[in-house]
Amino acid sequence: MSASPSTEEARPAPAPPEALAALDLFALGRQATAARDALWSGRGFFVRTRAEDADAPEGNRIVRFPFKLGENDAERLARLADIGAAAPPPWGIMPAPVGEPFGLDTLRCFALCRLALPRVAHVLADVSTLGPRLAQMAFGFGADELFAPIVAERALRLGANANNPALTRKEAVTLLRGAGLLPCERMADGSLQEVTP
Amino acid sequence: MTFAAIRDKVRAGEPLSLEDGVALYEHPNFMEIGALANEVRERLHGDRTFFNRNMHINATNVCEASCMFCSFARLKVGDAGAYTMSHEEAFGRLRARVAAQDAITEIHIVNGLHPGLPFDYYTELLAGLKRIQPSIHLKAFTAVEIFYYAKKFAMSVADVIAKLRAAGLDSLPGGGAEIFAPRVRKKICDDKCTGDEWLDVHRTAHRMGLRSNCTMLYGTIETIEERVDHMLQLRALQDETGGFQTFIPLAFHPDNNALMKLPAPTGTEDLRTYAVARLMLHNIPHIKAYWIMLGVKTAQTALWFGADDLDGTVQEERIYHMAGAETPQVMSPAEIIRIIRNAGRTPVERDTLYNVVAEGAALVSDKPYRRDVRRDNLKLEVVS
Repeated sequence: MSASPSTEEARPAPAPPEALAALDLFALGRQATAARDALWSGRGFFVRTRAEDADAPEGNRIVRFPFKLGENDAERLARLADIGAAAPPPWGIMPAPVGEPFGLDTLRCFALCRLALPRVAHVLADVSTLGPRLAQMAFGFGADELFAPIVAERALRLGANANNPALTRKEAVTLLRGAGLLPCERMADGSLQEVTP
Repeated sequence: MTFAAIRDKVRAGEPLSLEDGVALYEHPNFMEIGALANEVRERLHGDRTFFNRNMHINATNVCEASCMFCSFARLKVGDAGAYTMSHEEAFGRLRARVAAQDAITEIHIVNGLHPGLPFDYYTELLAGLKRIQPSIHLKAFTAVEIFYYAKKFAMSVADVIAKLRAAGLDSLPGGGAEIFAPRVRKKICDDKCTGDEWLDVHRTAHRMGLRSNCTMLYGTIETIEERVDHMLQLRALQDETGGFQTFIPLAFHPDNNALMKLPAPTGTEDLRTYAVARLMLHNIPHIKAYWIMLGVKTAQTALWFGADDLDGTVQEERIYHMAGAETPQVMSPAEIIRIIRNAGRTPVERDTLYNVVAEGAALVSDKPYRRDVRRDNLKLEVVS
């Protein structure tokens, strides 16, 4: 299996910003997951090891997309348009809330990223900024990859470890499957391996 | 049963069956379930989203029951972390709120099953709180506690409720229901009342004119069928009495208890449970996203998955925080209003019985509560 969409034609055209801004939560979620599934056929990804963003080859560049509570969709879409216009486009985009993220605002931002950036292959949900619950919900809004350290054994989320973002492989698979996706592990050589029950 | 057929039943106002509920839980697309639950939520309440100004008093955590999912209870007086408040200490908490001009309308009181406290500890607790603020609504004692007092003090459930009511009890909280399935109760909470006994306490309270809430603990060892069956038993009692106001799904928190090896419910499981509850419990008016337990982000999202209530400002919640909840122990009205508005909903301040206290321009966010209250600041006096 290829690690990126097979053809440029598989990618839908970006939705007009005014149309996106007018959509309610469920309509946005439906459109974003449809766009995600058109690219990845219902698969959700995780990776056990990942190079730091800065060291990643140009083709694997992940762009963080900081957003704040109170910004409107039009402002976000304008910034996303700049990211989408880059040549080559980034490999992935990772919405990154600034400050304490509210749930719905964050999910809406994920959907906007997916719909406004059809040339960006992946929308990543970062467990360290969102927490595992909200990161999983993002898969209903266009995310396709879980971004978290995958460890053999995770320390309990207690005390100083309360915000431990690490997941075991089994937890990552459970989160993706619970969101209705077919879990796929991205292997070191770039190939993908589906995790069957 | 296909999703389309279930959707048609929901739109026609037909009650869903056990099979329908299981099919909803197993449907691969949680967004579809959420959208359907949101239809029902908006049909019942539009955008209105309720909250109240309340405080919690957990007067003792000494508890004879050794429920495996519980991080709050201590089996004996003198065990590490065991505490029992004196009346004055409990009253002091309300006096502090009154002095701070926090316009709370409700006190939520839930305790352990303390083997050494006399019955008048509880009646005096209620009566004393009422003396300080006669208008305060006392939502107190789970059905598990009421049943325990009936056995321990050799009274009928109706007598216990009557005496507590005479002392100031206004309604019952919904805790202690866990999962009604005997198979599950035997494994996780064998020494508390059965599901039938829990339902019977609420039936009795409703017949005596009290309103109550109901809950379901999900995410331990129960099956999907057992969750849906639990909802159906609540629905049947509601058909009989009409006394339930709110259903509150309670996510299992695995930290600091005997079930800590189990994974916590995931975010989509939380949302799906809220949505399924809204769809199954057509006759219970409200579904509450209890932010203390669910976390603020998930609770806010649940407002689009069937929930129409965020609970209250709370203060000094201990039961879930001892189980690892990372939420603050208090939110100001201003914060709650902001969360609701950010969700695209309309905040409505209510009292315990869902009478509107304020909405629209009349909604006053008030000064924020202090956020530095932590359980380690509490000085607890052992009275038994």
